[in-house]
Amino acid sequence: MKRVEVKLAVPIVAPLLDVIREQAPGLREVSAGVTGLPDADDELREAWADELLAGQRGEVDALLALFGEEFFREGVVAFDGDNAEVILRACAAVRLRLREHALKTVGDEALETGELEISRLPRETNLAFRCYVFLATLQEVIIQHLDESILGG
Amino acid sequence: MTKTGTLPKEDVHTETSLGGRWRVVVLNDPVNLMSYVVLVFRKVFGFDDQTARRRMLEVHEQGRSVVWRGLREKAEAYVFTLQQWHLTAVIEPDEAS
Repeated sequence: MKRVEVKLAVPIVAPLLDVIREQAPGLREVSAGVTGLPDADDELREAWADELLAGQRGEVDALLALFGEEFFREGVVAFDGDNAEVILRACAAVRLRLREHALKTVGDEALETGELEISRLPRETNLAFRCYVFLATLQEVIIQHLDESILGG
Repeated sequence: MTKTGTLPKEDVHTETSLGGRWRVVVLNDPVNLMSYVVLVFRKVFGFDDQTARRRMLEVHEQGRSVVWRGLREKAEAYVFTLQQWHLTAVIEPDEAS
């Protein structure tokens, strides 16, 4: 099985992990982004939401587990066919939640283009934006190296 | 590589039923990466890379793309799967058909 190891600078990444941890409780309670089926009956709507949320909880747990004790010892995270898909989704969920909360003041255009003066952002927004970019970078690494594993899985 | 190892000839699959046809529409969001959306389209619908990129660009540039047409039940399943991937997807009656 193909495996990709990424060496990261722990002192730089650690504050970004705090941003993810701050978002985790909300991600365990509410689905990120727009979900649902507008004309569904109550039973279907509830089952739909419950299943999406259960999946999202698993994703967030997997992402946080990726940055456990071993990461703080070695500074390395590893991706393979077993975790690539769930981490990709987790990154998407956290990024969506950051947009809806911690980066609400930044605006969609700046988020989409990345054109903003990070140094002028308040500290918390600055950290949230760096986390947003960091998660996108993880996604790019996974897609670049493990797309065939995901498509074949 | 898709599960079947074959690429679809058509990028929009069609089915008919007495219950009418429905379409699955993916809407633009400013968050998900283009490469991510391409991957999801390839994974979920089995699109080849070119078709997936074309659909992704439709979403990006026009705000929406119809990615599938067919029976209601299957359309719902696709919308659910796309929402599992955190894409914004809706189901609509396929009035044009």
